[in-house]
Amino acid sequence: MKALLPLLAALPLSSFLLPAVAPAPKYAVADIPAALREGAHAVLRADDEVVTVKSAGRLVYAVHRVVTVLDAAGDDQGRHSVSYDALHALNYLRGAVYDADGRLLHQLRAAEIHDQGVGDAGGNFMTDVRVRYADLRQPQTPYTVEFDYELTVDNALFYPDFQPQDEEGLAVQSATFKVTTPAALPLRYQERQLPKGAAVARSTAAGQEVYQWELTNLPAVEEEEAAPPLAYTTPAVVLAPGAFEVQGYKGTAATWQGLGQWSYELNAGRDVLPPATVAKVQALVKDAPDARTKARRVYEMLQGSTRYISVQLGLGGWQTFPASSVASNGYGDCKALSNYTTALLAAAGVPAYVALVGAGSDRPDLRADFPSSQFNHAIVCVPLAQAGKPDTLWLECTSQTAPFGYMGSFTGNRHALLVTPKGGQLVATPRYGATENRLQRRLDLFIDDKGGATATARTLRTGQEQDLYAQLMHELGPTDQKKYITDHLKLPTFTLTKCNLAAAPATGAPGIVETLGLALPGFAAPSGKRVFIAPNLLSRLPALPAQAGERQTPVWLSDACLHADTVRLHLPAGFRPENLPAPVQLSTAYGIYSSQYAALPDGGVQYIRRLEMKRGQFPATAYAGYLEFRRKISAADKAQVVLLKTES
Amino acid sequence: MPQPHPFWAALALVLLSPFAAQAQPEPIKFGQVNQADLTAAPFGADSAAAVVLCDYGAAQVKWGADGSMHSETERMTRVKILRKAGYRYASLEIPLVGGRKLTGLRGFTYNLVNGVVEKTKLESAGEFTEEIATHVRVFKCTLPNVREGSVVEFAYSLTAGGRVSLPDWQFQHEVPVRWSEFRIAYPDIFNFKTVLQGYLPLAVREQKEGTARVMLSRWAMKDVPALREEPYVTTMNDYVARLDLELASVNVPGRVVKDFLSSWEQVDADLLHDPNLGQLLNQGGFLSADLAKLALPATATVEERAAAVHALVRGAVKYDGLATTYASTPLRKLYTDTHRGNAAEINLLLIAALRAAKLDANPVLLSTREHGRVAASFPMASRFNYVVAHVALPDGKDLLLDATEPLLPCGMLPERCLNGVGRLVMANPQHSRWVELTPSQRRVHFQQAQLDLTPQGGLSGKVHEEFSGYAGATARAELEKDGEPKYRTHFASKHGAWTVPQFAVSQRTNLLKPLTLDYAFEQPADAAATPGSLYLSPVSEFLAEQNPFRLETRTFPVDFGTQQDETLMITLHLPADYELADRPKPSQVELPDGGGRFFYSVAVEGSTVNITSRLSLRKPVYAAEEYVHLRELYRLMLEKQREKLVIKKKA
Repeated sequence: MKALLPLLAALPLSSFLLPAVAPAPKYAVADIPAALREGAHAVLRADDEVVTVKSAGRLVYAVHRVVTVLDAAGDDQGRHSVSYDALHALNYLRGAVYDADGRLLHQLRAAEIHDQGVGDAGGNFMTDVRVRYADLRQPQTPYTVEFDYELTVDNALFYPDFQPQDEEGLAVQSATFKVTTPAALPLRYQERQLPKGAAVARSTAAGQEVYQWELTNLPAVEEEEAAPPLAYTTPAVVLAPGAFEVQGYKGTAATWQGLGQWSYELNAGRDVLPPATVAKVQALVKDAPDARTKARRVYEMLQGSTRYISVQLGLGGWQTFPASSVASNGYGDCKALSNYTTALLAAAGVPAYVALVGAGSDRPDLRADFPSSQFNHAIVCVPLAQAGKPDTLWLECTSQTAPFGYMGSFTGNRHALLVTPKGGQLVATPRYGATENRLQRRLDLFIDDKGGATATARTLRTGQEQDLYAQLMHELGPTDQKKYITDHLKLPTFTLTKCNLAAAPATGAPGIVETLGLALPGFAAPSGKRVFIAPNLLSRLPALPAQAGERQTPVWLSDACLHADTVRLHLPAGFRPENLPAPVQLSTAYGIYSSQYAALPDGGVQYIRRLEMKRGQFPATAYAGYLEFRRKISAADKAQVVLLKTES
Repeated sequence: MPQPHPFWAALALVLLSPFAAQAQPEPIKFGQVNQADLTAAPFGADSAAAVVLCDYGAAQVKWGADGSMHSETERMTRVKILRKAGYRYASLEIPLVGGRKLTGLRGFTYNLVNGVVEKTKLESAGEFTEEIATHVRVFKCTLPNVREGSVVEFAYSLTAGGRVSLPDWQFQHEVPVRWSEFRIAYPDIFNFKTVLQGYLPLAVREQKEGTARVMLSRWAMKDVPALREEPYVTTMNDYVARLDLELASVNVPGRVVKDFLSSWEQVDADLLHDPNLGQLLNQGGFLSADLAKLALPATATVEERAAAVHALVRGAVKYDGLATTYASTPLRKLYTDTHRGNAAEINLLLIAALRAAKLDANPVLLSTREHGRVAASFPMASRFNYVVAHVALPDGKDLLLDATEPLLPCGMLPERCLNGVGRLVMANPQHSRWVELTPSQRRVHFQQAQLDLTPQGGLSGKVHEEFSGYAGATARAELEKDGEPKYRTHFASKHGAWTVPQFAVSQRTNLLKPLTLDYAFEQPADAAATPGSLYLSPVSEFLAEQNPFRLETRTFPVDFGTQQDETLMITLHLPADYELADRPKPSQVELPDGGGRFFYSVAVEGSTVNITSRLSLRKPVYAAEEYVHLRELYRLMLEKQREKLVIKKKA
């Protein structure tokens, strides 16, 4: 070994002695087909990803990536970062940048690579995640960057996915994906949105199976309104392990049952509570009439005595802290708090399970047909029944303010994996539709004869409609609530004279009542003899931008809701409505809208608006209809009542 | 007069307890909570997430066993957690930069359980240290057993070696503070200068000589309100109640007094001698070949020559986003190899290039808006965080240049630099001076629309739109960030009722010209319109419809950075046989002291209506007292712009 050292030391020197011949240009911009430049800010010239499965517990992932940045909007592609942690070792990161003709401009030096801890990224308190980051952006476009890196992955629960076209404005000239795995560890994969002819090519050699995919000449795509995420529209190959192992914990991801079994065993025995806590729970539920009441008391105890602190270090990113640690510290992450809650419920005699879920209000449901770890959060499922029918209760254990049994847009409307002693089981979380997600508003507008106005507005929001307002109510004091609401009302000039948020009495989905008083100086200023008032002050739905070019992606409408507004205009003496807008009635597959106006006996005007939006997925051709629906709503929402000053 | 003591004697006593000599007890005793603070007693009207009950710091300059000086700061903070949103105050994060050391960390959570105070200790399981980057660590810890109503407290000591310094102290935070106190102690051979910033009064301000030639100072604030951010400010750091301290001089008996805060002239001289700043300015020789290629005619003016050099540098290097005053990469390497650099590297390269092109270029040191204002009373280079180039024009005017932004022409500073004054540092110390950074360029938006109205109320038009000065820079930046198709989509989303058959952007690259949009639009008739009478407020389609000044009151100045001008000219062609039933009255609203005005007029010529709306804001910065006028100006303007034209069929 030692004998090698002098030779190695001499290597850099010898490279200086070589004749100074410039390397042949590569990746000249002129070699990009014109069709790939269309609508593109950057072109992926080559993306060669190689996964080598070494064993059930280890794989190596190597990436060679070459991107030409065409204009400044594609500049982000000129830098690259790779994150790593205790279970992901970054073996190397190399880079180079070339000019438009493909001549080497600069080779990335080790000293130019930033290495940074990002322990508190993503709302975590502490993690072992670090990032290595290189920036090769150039003052002039176009230019081409080349990055090479390799990771040794000791968390074989996750296999890398292949989706080279992961953002808009990025065309792909060539991308390849190669997976080598021992024959004893057959690969599980799912091909998604692949173009014709891109399907897998398989071969076998020396006890290894090789899977290969190739994508060429994918033009840039653009993100569209009301569209699925890019993950659902551009070509992808998704991998998952069959048999796998993480830090000595063996399992299989081939079935949901197996994946849940692994998670159960990883956390088995970590649900032991200190005797004092058990006693406390038992005293708490002693006189509770039923399981639901017991669960409610346990949940209240949890919310009053714990908080969310996320610490993810090594295997601790997957294995829960013991329930005893939550009992003594009063904090934990989603896994630890959910595990602790199931332990508390067990002490109360209520069986419950931890459930893994892919949380996020913009995140589509998991792919049920491809068992794999598609989760980022843990919640608790309590399988209750009422009158012989299932009446399952779901608990979010990381929030100190979430209503009992309410999931909201963060974890509702999707599937979760129950972790039971018999393994995993895929079940649906609560669904929130137009019955639950409501906004009901009553607004009274008082117009004075000086051209000013005041208004009072009472708004009840329930279900997902209240999620944001519940956050405002719990997290901000009154001064900051008022500031937030002031900043978000779309009115010309106004002052909030009253502003209050309060929880609505519990009936079904949780609700928040917002009460506002508004001073609107000059709001009803006359234009000549007339005053124009658009009664829809607070519930306007904007139109969508006109479609440029042909719609490419399907239409996804992810949230259902029902908005009902009643507005009364109170007029000063000497004014009468000259003209009321005609009623509007729209009934479509996307939703139902109506607006109507009526003169009131007291001389005022009443406006009633109702909008129901439906949840659904429609083909791309349906977009024109949706656009038209939104345009008509927007026009109707702006309709004005014309008031005439009567001669007196 | 103090008795003359040997120098060492004074220092030895400092090592004991200088604060004991202050005779003032510490405002709180660590580990001893006041039970009243654990009850639900009112904690101010704000109903914030938490209230800082006491924040206490005591800093001293100490003499180490090896003869070096260091500073040691004891910190004790006690917080009442009122709502779950205040749980973050149960965690602590302390950045440990360089050789800063943290010792003696202690923490407690107090809860009232059945009328009895329950005290839980900070455990090491809740403590972490993260290596963020080389020489930057962050220590984090979190307390157990925290709930609404808990009182939490931390105490620790921070030691910093190196040069003699004392930390600054911030009295005001995002939540109200009941009592905030800071004390310092240092041997009287040192002289510290202090500046109190913000809008709040001190409850205590004491300075005295302790025993053994130790200087003692004490400041405190009582019932400090929460700091709330307002829009259009440089940085909230400019307004937070804070005490800044800097070492001014050292006076060891029998030796020459050493000044650290002598004068800006001394700062100038130090900057000029700095190998990473002043010494780089004449190192532009390697540029001569590329400069020669510019082939400037002998008749070129100073401005033309400066612009050519500026374009050369701007195109050769990319800004990495780091605002700084010192270069860490050799200029030649920057120019020929890495093509990227921090603000100092790029603009020092620019100065070197201008000098190599025989122009009289010099550095201007400044503090960016984000970095806050430069206090004239602290003559220190560290108060700057940015450097730009200055070229003296023959007419005596100042030309300021910055090459970090590819979308800004020569002579226009990035908005981040529009922050008061900068320090022009000249080789001849007599000529160094402060220069105004207020730009001559304004933020100008101009729209001219030719509109045709149909008898049914349909509207079509051709619009010419120009963005100049800083508005041009903003529009170009948006275009660059999004690309033209996306920019067009964003444009369309502002006008949901329009179809836009033509849309052209021009002058994207000619930075000296306004960025220009020319488009045509069509808006279908409103199906519900009453035949014979049409109501139209064409102005509001083209301008913002909301008052940017949303809150009624204002505490801090409104700092736009630049003057502004917003003009709209509409020529509306009415259908044949239609006329204006009521003609809107003209309007003119003025701000006090010529601070700005809004002008609106309507002229009718046959079936053509000409409308002009113009807003000029002539000050880059308005005092908080002017806020009410500014808000009212916008209110009246929006009211006028919303006004309907009533158009009737001729009788």
